[in-house]
Amino acid sequence: MLSLRSVTKRYGALTALDGVSLDITRGEFFGLLGPNGAGKSTLMSLAAGLRSPDAGALTLDGVVVTPADPATRTALGLVPQSIALFQDLSAEQNLHTFGRLYGLRGTELRGRIDEALAAVGLADRRHDPVKNYSGGMQRRLNLIAALLHRPKLLLCDEPTVGVDPQSRNAIFDFLEQRNREGLTIIYSTHYMEEATRLCSRIGIIDHGKIHALGTLDELLTQLPFEEEIVFPATPATAPLAAELGAHGTLTTREGRHHFQAAAGFKLSAFYARTEAHGLSPRLFTAGRPTLEAVFLHLTGRNLRE
Amino acid sequence: MAVILTLVRKDIANFRRNRAAVVVTFLVPIVLIYIFGWVFGLNQKDNGPTGIRLAVVNASPNPGAQKLVDALKADPAFRVVTTFVNPDQTTRPLTEEDLRPMIREGDFRFAVVIPADVVRTDRIGLHLKILSDPRNEIEAQTVNGLLQRTLFSNVPELLGQSLQARAKEFLGDSRFRQFNRGLADTVASAFGGDPAKIQRQIESGDFGLSRISHPASPADPSLRRIDNAAPAPAAAPAPGAPAAKPAPSSAQDFFSRLIKIDQEQVVGKDVKSPAATRLVGGWAIMFLLFAVSNGAAAFFDEANTGVFQRILSAPVTRAQLLWSRFLYGVWLGLIQLLIMFLAGHLMYGIDVFGHLGNLLAVSVAAAAACSSFGMLIAALAPNAAAASGLSTLLVMVMSATGGAWFPMSFMPEFMQRIGKFTLVYWSMEGFLQVLWAGRTFVELLPILGILAGITLVVMTVAIWRLNKKAIFA
Repeated sequence: MLSLRSVTKRYGALTALDGVSLDITRGEFFGLLGPNGAGKSTLMSLAAGLRSPDAGALTLDGVVVTPADPATRTALGLVPQSIALFQDLSAEQNLHTFGRLYGLRGTELRGRIDEALAAVGLADRRHDPVKNYSGGMQRRLNLIAALLHRPKLLLCDEPTVGVDPQSRNAIFDFLEQRNREGLTIIYSTHYMEEATRLCSRIGIIDHGKIHALGTLDELLTQLPFEEEIVFPATPATAPLAAELGAHGTLTTREGRHHFQAAAGFKLSAFYARTEAHGLSPRLFTAGRPTLEAVFLHLTGRNLRE
Repeated sequence: MAVILTLVRKDIANFRRNRAAVVVTFLVPIVLIYIFGWVFGLNQKDNGPTGIRLAVVNASPNPGAQKLVDALKADPAFRVVTTFVNPDQTTRPLTEEDLRPMIREGDFRFAVVIPADVVRTDRIGLHLKILSDPRNEIEAQTVNGLLQRTLFSNVPELLGQSLQARAKEFLGDSRFRQFNRGLADTVASAFGGDPAKIQRQIESGDFGLSRISHPASPADPSLRRIDNAAPAPAAAPAPGAPAAKPAPSSAQDFFSRLIKIDQEQVVGKDVKSPAATRLVGGWAIMFLLFAVSNGAAAFFDEANTGVFQRILSAPVTRAQLLWSRFLYGVWLGLIQLLIMFLAGHLMYGIDVFGHLGNLLAVSVAAAAACSSFGMLIAALAPNAAAASGLSTLLVMVMSATGGAWFPMSFMPEFMQRIGKFTLVYWSMEGFLQVLWAGRTFVELLPILGILAGITLVVMTVAIWRLNKKAIFA
């Protein structure tokens, strides 16, 4: 559906996208995972036809996407990272405006506005100015404003920034439902939990390059270990942590050590060491490694750096 | 105290980083002080208006009348026009018949006619005529004052001639000459001097009256010697002391009773509320500029919140987005102008409905020019704060130099030329042409064309700049 071929975009000396090639297939829920400044928003703006690449080409169903050709954009919906709404207007007035930009008129437009507001639970606040909405309500409205014209491809550029967990779940449910109905979605985020939950395929992007591409399972197979052991970073565990560095990869974040054992290092050996240091087995949890571990392995840095 | 100082330091650092605030705080006052300095004569030796086009028709063969014309030409307040340019570029002297249509056309707003009978023989006194288009009250009053000053400073000789002519007619030629000779002898014996020279001066009408209007120091010998060619120079003021101003002359009251000046207002005679009609256009356009400048700041708000991104991700081109902003500015400006004129009608009786069609045409053109100005501000400024500072500076400078605050003729000629490049000047001109001069739509076309031209040029530059900016992405 959307195809990028060796796409490069520069801002002066900064290369925001560096020869990116990517194919998004119809019906896919594609996640673009990377830290701030990785190039996610630039890729989104190119896909939305807001900018032109300096090299390479983007095509949507075989048609080149450029700022000069607005016709291709009828198939697209963009949910910008910021709350791109008219704050003094009501939800209904906002949707009316954006709907008309896509050529919707009359009863068809009114029907779609009713349907969209009901879908995200804003029907009873439809006449209130947007500036009086909570952050979560604004985010939901921000989302449906991009869907009113029923695009084939939805571009979501970090659409849950600053949203409370309840609204975030509502947005996830809404997007999953639309995806099940056939909508193709590209979802950029730096939250691995979001990519893990929502996306059927994930691209890991950093410094303008796609470092890995595939389903969650495919990405996890790129790790040289299968399990990750997590334990608290305390003075009591410090001697163990110091020893483990020689037997695998140990990273520390948010007050917890994450240990991925090197090939050949047995779990039995690990637990023997914990006993030797007098540490309770309850301190340790072993499990499947996360996308964060993949990102760390591929880029050498954390998602939140 | 340390906390307070820390917070003060923070405010100073913020202020220094906010270029717009720096511009508004320092540059705007300096520029305005400079402009007002010119208006109030702080930047020049002779204050007052300069370069006002003044048509002079001299129909009198009297040499004194020519001296009057020369005196007007020498006055820096006036740029005297005495010739009419034919379509084939040949010239001829202006006639009184030329003046009224030319004033109506706006070639000049003031004219002096020195008629053939400037020196009356039927009674003692002089006769002059002033024609005007007093579209700016302050300017009209100032010009009248300047004209009267120049006339009263130079008419004594003509007035003497009037006296001589009247005396000659009354006494007969031989008794008249005998009277003059006796008068000259008496003056010579009382004050000294050559009786023959004094008689020639008396017969030419020079009684030394012109020197009465120039106060002299008590020791000035010219007071006692009527045959002195020129008055002694006034004592130089002490260094640093302001130059002495001429004292009000009682001679002027005396002359004003002897000189009959026919005042004729050529344009705007039938205007119902002249003072308000003159002012409303300038004020309206200034407030409109402020309104569209706020629109420029809103432009940045929409760009920063991603609304532009969302709009441009729809099948909308940048050009459509920009022209929509322009049209919104035109709509806002038109509504604001019409409300202001309506308020002027209700509060001051300005005749709006008598000129509604033409007023609408000029309002649309002026609103379009102002809207394009707002777009240019958005194109030139890097952010909303800078747009606010830049627009404050430009609106005030354009309002001052374009004539919205005071007559342009009060500024030096180079600033008057600059003022004519502002949309404030041409918008005001358009409103005055409609409300003051009652022009027809066809007669308004040149001004409408100029305003449209300004809009086109400014919009072209604004769109070119905006397309180069990253504001859309």
